[in-house]
Amino acid sequence: FKDDLSTSLQLFTPMSPYDVDLPIQATEDVLFSSQFHQPKELPTDFSSVDLSFLPDITQDNKEQNLSKDGNETQEELDGSIPRNKDSSGTMDESSLSYPDATQPSPQASDACPLTPMTPMPPATSASESSGIVPQLQNIVSTVNLACKLDLKNIALHARNAEYNPKRFAAVIMRIREPRTTALIFSSGKMVCTGAKSEEQSRLAARKYARVVQKLGFPAKFLDFKIQNMVGSCDVRFPIWLERLLLTHQQFSSYEPELFPGLIYRMVKPRIVLLIFVSGKVVLTGAKERSEIYEAFENIYPILKGFKKAS
Amino acid sequence: AGAGRRCPGCGSAELLEDALYAQQQLVCAACGCVLAEGLLTTTYSEEQQRREVAYSQSTGQKEQQSRCLQRGIRRVQDLCKVLQLPAVFEDTAVSYFQRAVQHPAFHLLSLEKKELLGGCCVFVTCRQHNWPLTMGTICSLLYAKQELFAGVFLSLQKELELSVPALSLADLVKTHLNNFRLFQHSADVPVPFVEDKEKMVARTLQMVELASETWLVTGRHPIPIVTAAAFLAWQSLQPGARLACPLARFCRAAGVDVPPPAHLRLKELLEILLRMASQLAWLRVFNLDKKTVVKHIGDLLQHRVFLLKNAFCAEEEEQQPAAVLGQGCPGSPRAGAQKGCPEGSKRQREGDARPLLPPCLIRPRKRLRTAAPSAAASAASGDEPISDSEVEQYLRGPDEIRAFSRAKGWP
Repeated sequence: FKDDLSTSLQLFTPMSPYDVDLPIQATEDVLFSSQFHQPKELPTDFSSVDLSFLPDITQDNKEQNLSKDGNETQEELDGSIPRNKDSSGTMDESSLSYPDATQPSPQASDACPLTPMTPMPPATSASESSGIVPQLQNIVSTVNLACKLDLKNIALHARNAEYNPKRFAAVIMRIREPRTTALIFSSGKMVCTGAKSEEQSRLAARKYARVVQKLGFPAKFLDFKIQNMVGSCDVRFPIWLERLLLTHQQFSSYEPELFPGLIYRMVKPRIVLLIFVSGKVVLTGAKERSEIYEAFENIYPILKGFKKAS
Repeated sequence: AGAGRRCPGCGSAELLEDALYAQQQLVCAACGCVLAEGLLTTTYSEEQQRREVAYSQSTGQKEQQSRCLQRGIRRVQDLCKVLQLPAVFEDTAVSYFQRAVQHPAFHLLSLEKKELLGGCCVFVTCRQHNWPLTMGTICSLLYAKQELFAGVFLSLQKELELSVPALSLADLVKTHLNNFRLFQHSADVPVPFVEDKEKMVARTLQMVELASETWLVTGRHPIPIVTAAAFLAWQSLQPGARLACPLARFCRAAGVDVPPPAHLRLKELLEILLRMASQLAWLRVFNLDKKTVVKHIGDLLQHRVFLLKNAFCAEEEEQQPAAVLGQGCPGSPRAGAQKGCPEGSKRQREGDARPLLPPCLIRPRKRLRTAAPSAAASAASGDEPISDSEVEQYLRGPDEIRAFSRAKGWP
């Protein structure tokens, strides 16, 4: 009784315990856009990454799908979905080889009848496919006040200062708006952390400089530089970190004994991503906002491949 | 020098350098006779035999290697011997260590950390050969704090660009169960507790696989899961005698520590098993709870592929009307029910399908404050004028300064 009921009630037959209903459309968006539209140059470090983590399509599966509502996106791209590389033992069905990127779908050469593709939104670039924008959580910047500072004096005259020379050789100062913390060193160098945008970080650093000026030091504002930006977002689906490690070993470090997340060191742009099983992603190491966005757009299609691993 | 030395006690040529004690000792492997002990004055070792000889007798071949490096290499070799690793591992670990010590990032590392570096090289080698060695084991051998070891390990991985494959859970299960002293009757292990090793390993492997398929393994420390799985496997093999035994007692009998998260893993595993049990027709008549379900673990594991499929509804379906749900949720659908699954009678409540998700998503701890940038902040250019009054609020007045100085005891 089980199979009849399940095929009629579910969108497609799951192939393993992991698979529950998944409209393939979303995955195909990515597949299509990266394969046929190629609006932007794929980063070179991913040229060797094939899309074999996509769900495997079997002959039975195709036939069942042919009888379904035509609105559902058909899974087969004329036999283009290759075998899934994961270690699940259920994937023993015939694997179909992946065609060249130049081969358009209507040229079906295999026995299976060509199924019309659901009309896709035109020219969706890979960069538009995620629809998720990472939010900046922390900006770290430095500035040179260019004068020697008497830290004890500052701690005495400023309300918002903390100075414990035995613990740390800098004054820790905080302001309320923008809510930030600064480390002020006797050399005149200062680090400003906690801002949520580049402009806020600059404004905050200027305020700290003004406080130091008001305390009687000839503080300037030289070489303001954003040193690090941290962003975070949620892809809204759980991720099989073990499989991500398997296919992207040269970029990933996953040690559940140490830390629950997978540390992904992206080469271009040079960003470190912390990827968690819950689907939350933290991106850090950026000097510019665009690097965070670019890194996320790079990782999103990869993560989608592990959304419902077959 | 001394290549043909034999034990004066038994004549055996099997002589080993034993570094497990504070002193270096040359010991006969056959009879245990001690041939030579460490000298108070150190001499350079002759590279062939790695035995201590007078400096004038040494060949001087290794003089270009620093003492620190030699010591480090020897430590790595000793670790490999203690762990009884294959010979090829030792060569790989030593070569990693040599590369690491010469790398600018580690050249100036303290000796304490250099020793950890040696341990990391052994650890990485083991993982690359799928030898199931946990960080916990290596840390205890090195008497190192795990945080310190972790830091050195991550740096090593990054600087030398080593790819470290994931720990093989199956191998870990086999290795970890080797430490369990449940396979023979003893003072701590009464007869009803004794279990056949093969059966226990097989069933624990199945339980761990089940855990990994249901999101209980990803992102979590593996040992507590293996412990909880072993406990359930052991209980289910002879439920009559063992159901009354709690996890802590089990670990005591087995001679292993109870890792604190093991209790939570156990709870999660039992929840999964109960959901699966609700899908087995002949088990639905029993009102199973977390004790009694253990008796049926054998059946549940046997049919786990089918049961998992039906015990959990799809994530996407929580948005859809309940009528579309699979057979796991019988009963009248009710719009707006939790996670889109209908609430049936009490008995069917256990069969309420939930999406198959990691526990952190099933029970979200807190609603994260989505930092919506304030209007002022979003318009910020960074160059706004800063009013004097705003800055002055952060400065102390003269009275306050006096009071503060007095409080601090400053003149």
